[in-house]
Amino acid sequence: MKANLRSSKTLTVALALVLINVIVILISLNTGSLRIAPLEVVRTLLGFGDNKSSLVLFDYRLPRIIITMLAGIGLGISGAILQGVSRNPLADPGIIGLHAGASFGLIMFVTYFHSLNDKAALLIPLFTFIGGCLTAFIIILLTYDRYKGILPIRLILVGIAIAACFNAITLFLSLRLDEDTYTFASRWLVGNVWGRDWIHVIALLPWIVILTPIGILQSRKLDALSFGDSTAVGLGVSVLRTRLSMLAIAVALSSASVAMVGGIGFIGLVAPHLARRLVGPRHQHFLPVAGLLGMVILVLSDTVGRSIFQPNAIPAGIVVAAIGGPYFLYLLTKTK
Amino acid sequence: MNKQLLMVFTAMLLLILAACGQTSSTDSKASDTKTEKDEPKIASLSIHLTNDLLALGITPVGSVVGGELNDFLPHVKNRLKNSTKLGPAKDPDMEAVIALDPSVIYIDEGISGEDISKFKDIAPTESFNLDEGTWRDHLKAIGKLVDRTQEAEDFIADYESLTSEVKTLATDELGENSKVMAIRVTAKELRVFTTKRPLGPILFDDLGFKPAAGIEELDSTQPYEVISQEVLPDFDADAIFVVVNSDDKAQTAFKQLEESPIYQGLNAVKNKHVYVVSDQPWLDYSALGNKLAMEEAKKLFSK
Repeated sequence: MKANLRSSKTLTVALALVLINVIVILISLNTGSLRIAPLEVVRTLLGFGDNKSSLVLFDYRLPRIIITMLAGIGLGISGAILQGVSRNPLADPGIIGLHAGASFGLIMFVTYFHSLNDKAALLIPLFTFIGGCLTAFIIILLTYDRYKGILPIRLILVGIAIAACFNAITLFLSLRLDEDTYTFASRWLVGNVWGRDWIHVIALLPWIVILTPIGILQSRKLDALSFGDSTAVGLGVSVLRTRLSMLAIAVALSSASVAMVGGIGFIGLVAPHLARRLVGPRHQHFLPVAGLLGMVILVLSDTVGRSIFQPNAIPAGIVVAAIGGPYFLYLLTKTK
Repeated sequence: MNKQLLMVFTAMLLLILAACGQTSSTDSKASDTKTEKDEPKIASLSIHLTNDLLALGITPVGSVVGGELNDFLPHVKNRLKNSTKLGPAKDPDMEAVIALDPSVIYIDEGISGEDISKFKDIAPTESFNLDEGTWRDHLKAIGKLVDRTQEAEDFIADYESLTSEVKTLATDELGENSKVMAIRVTAKELRVFTTKRPLGPILFDDLGFKPAAGIEELDSTQPYEVISQEVLPDFDADAIFVVVNSDDKAQTAFKQLEESPIYQGLNAVKNKHVYVVSDQPWLDYSALGNKLAMEEAKKLFSK
């Protein structure tokens, strides 16, 4: 009975979020240097718009919004998985050091490939993923205990330390870049949605579309983990293997997202929190909702960042932090 | 609990809607800039091309801005009051370009060459390779396109006569065959300019200074090279042009340099042949930029 109630509630929440998403996306499509009325947006999307509107919408706004949506989902789910794996509500791909690793990967990429627009762009998520894996590997190495497996609590502390180290290396490498690349890199590091072409959509899409369902399908195992390692073993879950595979999915999701939208923190932290409050702690409910929330937050932040301070857009990461920070504090003081 | 969340989302949505309202008011006037009917509506994707156009008396309807300044260059700012800012050249605001509905787009091949097809989707696009030839060639090419060849010739003639004036003044001050170098002090590093634009052509070709020892050996495909203070004496320059950024850090860095014994031991410093110039218009390698720089040079040498 209770389970059914939860399921139907999840469905309502999910539907509500989808609706909010549609509204936010329409507003976002309407926002930019060239103003297109909402009705005109819809008409253009259906293929009846004039040349100018369709050029703006299809070549410039749509790819950017799709990238933001995908990255939002990736970051939200990645954060949710990490919190499940580490059994710690503070886990977030940014805090745990994955962003730092991904940044390192990106800096390596710009150092060797320079160009970010042609086919080479497809490789960017791969580089950030390798960077993310590298940090994850080091973190696991340092948190692994021969008898107890990966120690969830240590995961975060080690992650913070590793993040600091990698940030230092990244900063050092970025100082050696020429001015323009440096400007790009520094904007990227605070979370700037820079991917704006269809090629970037293609680079990001497979990662999110393939990995998100895999993550959600594993939610039962995450539920088992949340009871504690020994109970999970009792329930027939191979703790170490689950932890590693889920970690890999989280790393891949966050690294690929970060590759296109920069080191945006907080979404991975806030989205799962909100989701848990909305639909409860069962992963099969709260993973998808966390993804949807991540999407809403990121698209919203990017739109706000692009519109309020026109013509100088501020990076979405800063908006996320500006809105997310205070809200999170409020959340912490409210829940004892 | 859910009500609170609902509130938060409503607040967020309101914020966005408010933001949308704001955009409508700001950019409405952008596109109806005053241009005469027969003049093409030019969107310039290079600050230097913008200033070439201004030299011909044409105001582009929109132009990119200086990347560091995030604004039009200071020496032409008041002439571009009615022009739309199109963002930095490296990352132009494409929607603003589309919104302008230009009749032609001018781009610098070196910066925007990769994206030329994107511009062509918006309007006919003229691509200029600013690394080829001097600003005179660019100016003439533009003059042809906008049917102002005579203005281009006049502008160049003016510049040449001004240059020969400054040349005499400079020879009086520095003597024949003086060896010159130009450096730039930024917060981070010390740079020496090569024979390439922005400063190579005006100093070594137009004003006819001899490059100081080693300048010609520098990589002439790059505008500058980073050097350490210790090698400054090796260039053995008779006169030094110093470009100092206006930010405090660069100013402090220059002060530190001025106090260093190496700097004070330089011949040019001892003979008071150091010319501190601002980054703009000197680093604006365009018809207008070089003209203004030359006018400043006249003042520098007639002191």
